[in-house]
Formats: sequence, C-alpha cells, structure tokens
Amino acid sequence: MSITTGNILEVRGLTARYGEVTALRSADLDLKEGELIAVLGPNGAGKSTLMRSIVGLTSASGDVRFRGELLPRNAAAVAARGIALVPEGRGIFGPMSVEENLQLGAYMINGRGEDYERRLSRVLTLFPRLKERLSQAAGSMSGGEQQMLAVGRALMADPKLLLLDEPSLGLAPKVTAEILETLAELNRSGLSVLLVEQKAPLALKIASRAYVVVNGRISTEIDTKEITSHDQLARYYFQ
Amino acid sequence: MLDLSFLGQTILNGLSVGCIYGLIGIGFCVIYNASGIVNFAQGAFVMLGGMITYVLVSLNVPLILAAAITIICVALVGVIIERIVVRPLWDRKATMFVMILATLAAQIVIERATLIVVGDQPKSLPVFTDLPPLRLFGIAIGYQTLWIFGTSIVLIIALGLFFQKTLVGRAMRACAINREAAALQGIQVSHMLALSFALSAGLGAIAGILVTPTQFTAFNVGTPFAISGFIAAIVGGFGRPFGAFLGGLTLGLAQALAVYSLGSGLKNMAALSVLLLFLFLRPSGILGSAK
Ligand SMILES: Nc1ncnc2c1ncn2[C@@H]1O[C@H](COP(=O)(O)OP(=O)(O)O)[C@@H](O)[C@H]1O
Ligand SMILES: [Mg+2]
Repeated sequence: MSITTGNILEVRGLTARYGEVTALRSADLDLKEGELIAVLGPNGAGKSTLMRSIVGLTSASGDVRFRGELLPRNAAAVAARGIALVPEGRGIFGPMSVEENLQLGAYMINGRGEDYERRLSRVLTLFPRLKERLSQAAGSMSGGEQQMLAVGRALMADPKLLLLDEPSLGLAPKVTAEILETLAELNRSGLSVLLVEQKAPLALKIASRAYVVVNGRISTEIDTKEITSHDQLARYYFQ
Repeated sequence: MLDLSFLGQTILNGLSVGCIYGLIGIGFCVIYNASGIVNFAQGAFVMLGGMITYVLVSLNVPLILAAAITIICVALVGVIIERIVVRPLWDRKATMFVMILATLAAQIVIERATLIVVGDQPKSLPVFTDLPPLRLFGIAIGYQTLWIFGTSIVLIIALGLFFQKTLVGRAMRACAINREAAALQGIQVSHMLALSFALSAGLGAIAGILVTPTQFTAFNVGTPFAISGFIAAIVGGFGRPFGAFLGGLTLGLAQALAVYSLGSGLKNMAALSVLLLFLFLRPSGILGSAK
C-alpha cells in the first residue's frame, strides 16, 4: 500500500472549520524524510489549525499520510505512530514536576524501563537546565525552561516527526536562538521537523524550505536559499 | 458532663457521615477532573452499593464477598453509563447543562429500575462487626463508625498514592490539567474517562455499603447523598479530591451540630447554609478550586 515517495508527511486537501469560520482551506504540504521545513504566516493565518489538524486535534477533512499511511483523526493514536507536537503555548502540565512531565512524554512505553532511562538521559543532555529542576513544579520555571521542557517531553516519545508551533512565543531572543539551534542539531541527527514560526528570519536560518500561510491558505512555497532580504519575505506575505 | 459527652457523640457521628459525603464528593471530583463533567448519577452508585450488597447478603453470600462483588458490579455500571450516556454526548461536545441533565436522567432510570426490582421498602445491612460499642469519655464508638473512618483513611491514602505515584494516576491528572496536551502524549483521554467513571462508581458503592448498616437504603436514597457529596466537593474546592473529603467532614459536622443545637428539622438547612456560606465567602473552596 505505502508508496515510497521519500515523504514522511503528505497533507492533501486538509480543510478545517470552527463553526462558520473556515480556518484552513484545502492545504497541501509535503515533508521529506530528514527535512526541516518552516510554516510561516501572520497571526490568525491558520498555522496552528494546520498543525492541530495534522495530529488529529480538530475535526478536519482531507488526507494526512505519514510514511504513506493515512493517519487516524485521534491525537493519541497519531502520537502512537511516532509524531509529536509541541503545541502553541507549550501545554506543559504546570502543577506536576518536570520529571513527571517527562515521564508522561514516554507514556507510550509506560514511563519506565531501559528505553525510558536512555531517552531521559538524552533529553537531559540536550537541555541540561532541566536536570537541575527535575523535582520542581513545571509551571514555576521560566518561559524558556518551560519551552525546553515541552520540547524535551515531545522527544521522550522518541518521535520520527516533530512538529512545533511557535516555540519562540514570548521568549527572549537568546533563549529562542538556543532552542532553534537544538532543533537544527536534532534535525542533523536525522529527525524530520515541521516548524511553525511567526518570526520568519529565525526559522529561515535553519529550514531548507518554507510554506507561507495567509488567510487559511498555503499561498506559497519558498526555497530558503532564494530569500536574501526582509523585503522579499514581506512580498510573500502581502502578495 | 452528660451534655458534653452528648456533644462529643454528636461530633463523632457528624464526622462519620461526613466521611461518607467526602467519599461521594471525591467521586464527583475524579470524573470532573478527567472530563469536566459533573456526574449527577453519583448518588445512584451509592444506592446501588447498599442495595446490591443487601440482595447478595439476603442470598446468604458472606458480607465481605458480597461487598467485593458489589463494588465491581457498580464500577461496571459506572463504565456502562459512561459508554452509553456520557461518551456519545461528549463526542458531540455537548454543553455542561446537557451533560448534567443526561446524568440526572441516568440516575432516575437506575432509581426506578431498582424500585421495580426490589420494591419500595427500606433495606438494611448488618453491621460489619457485631460487638457492643467501645466507650470513651462517655462517648459510644460503634464498630461501624470505626469501619467508616478506617476505610475512608485507607481509601484516601490509596487514592493519593494512585494519583501521585502511578503512571495511570499521573495520566489522569494530566488530563485534568490539559486534555489536549495529554492526548498529544499518547494518552487516550476517552479511556481515562471510562476509568474515572469506574473509580467514582466504585467509591460511591463503598460509601453506600459503609453507610447502610448505620441507616438504611432504599431506591431513592441516592439523590440526597448525591447532593451532600456535591456540596462536599464544592466546599472542598471542586476538582480537589482531598478537599472534597475535608468538605464532607465539614458538612457532616455542620449538620450534626445544627441538629444537636437546633433540632433535627434543621439538618438540610445546615447543609445548604454551609454551601451558601462557602459560595459567598470562599467560592474556591477549602483548598482552592482545581482550575
Ligand atoms: N477554537 C477556535 N474557535 C474559533 N475560531 C478559532 C479557533 N481557533 C482558531 N480560530 C480562528 O481560526 C483562524 C486561524 O487561527 P490559528 O490557526 O490559530 O492561526 P495562527 O496559528 O496562524 O495564528 C483565526 O481566524 C482564528 O480566530
Ligand atoms: Mg498559532
């Protein structure tokens, strides 16, 4: 059944509505194995809806294929296929400890055992700051640390595809740079990444391609090497 | 002197029934946390707990075995209600109002079915330990009261360990904090919902089994217990299981003291006054609301 196209993710005609509002109109998107691509676009364009629809958090219509196989429209079942989303606003479990958050990231391997320990030590190596805070309530950490936890928790599932929805939201530029550098590093070690960002220049530094979403439509696909100036990017947004 | 021991007796009895309210209140919280649903069928679980145990005991099943079978049966009833009443509505994103009405309807269906099967006569259960009460400072401490305190404490500790230490308990807490984020970790939120109904129904059944020897049970005792448990949950800070238990104790105590000082006609007035007092003065409850 599965046709080898080299794509880890194929989105076809994905459409999502909130009541009368169509937030996403027939979106098509491809992500190759091992690629890191960006989804750009202004506030309210439909980027989050796209991410949420891919992982089955909305009642969208259209096809999403992961390695050739149709994905179910159930977030837990999508997670079980090896796709992790770091949602907008991070979605960490604030009253729980950092360690409990990370353990829940590995819920699908029962949060224990050799694999669990291996994943935990890998995440703590990537984000050493979490190591010092394992027993601290997750919600009491700084925004940057919470974002690291959100990414770390997603990695605890050992995903094949990582989706991130505006990880830079509300973070200092230095922390954002640190997190994006970690993403680039993860991508170099083989992880496929789909990154939503409003701060286009940051995302374009690490992405090989980008889609621009405007008004619920994927309006353009751009090769990041073609983008050399801010003006050029602005033209994509406002064409 | 005599009066003081009577006061002590009153307090003891109030705390004892308060434990029962508390267990029912915890049932409300467990379901609410997993789903955001206020399940008014909670009272039916309490009634079924006493009633099924009564039926089994009258068939000569030993009490402990009867209680164990009952708890399992009632937990199953909880899962069935979740499956055929709650889940279809939940999937359709029904409003809180619709959900409350639906669970209330389920409660009435169970109540009426019980009436048809066992009739309208009150039933009772023998006390678990048939010994004369202990006497301490002129206060009679019945063994059933000790069973109620003991079981409640064991359940509170067990639930605490479950929610704090086990992965499934942590997953249920995660659902309470952020359902979508929980689903993104691979947690099937609908399984947690079913589990929360099983847990709450089991707790309700235990409460019903414990309280029946001290009072009686009948097809229609569910609603008053559900209301008391609901008040306990609100007083404790809705969604906080331990708070609900404290709320239950507060409520049981307030009722007993009102009856002691003002007469038995004021039991319900005391309960509702406690509720109003908290709604006005501390709407987030003893421990603060969960969300
Ligand atoms: N839960 C919701 N209910 C109603 N409308 C929504 C909801 N979420 C998003 N929208 C609307 O859908 C559109 C796209 O939103 P979103 O996907 O969050 O955009 P972005 O992530 O690009 O900022 C916006 O017009 C937004 O107002
Ligand atoms: Mg967004």
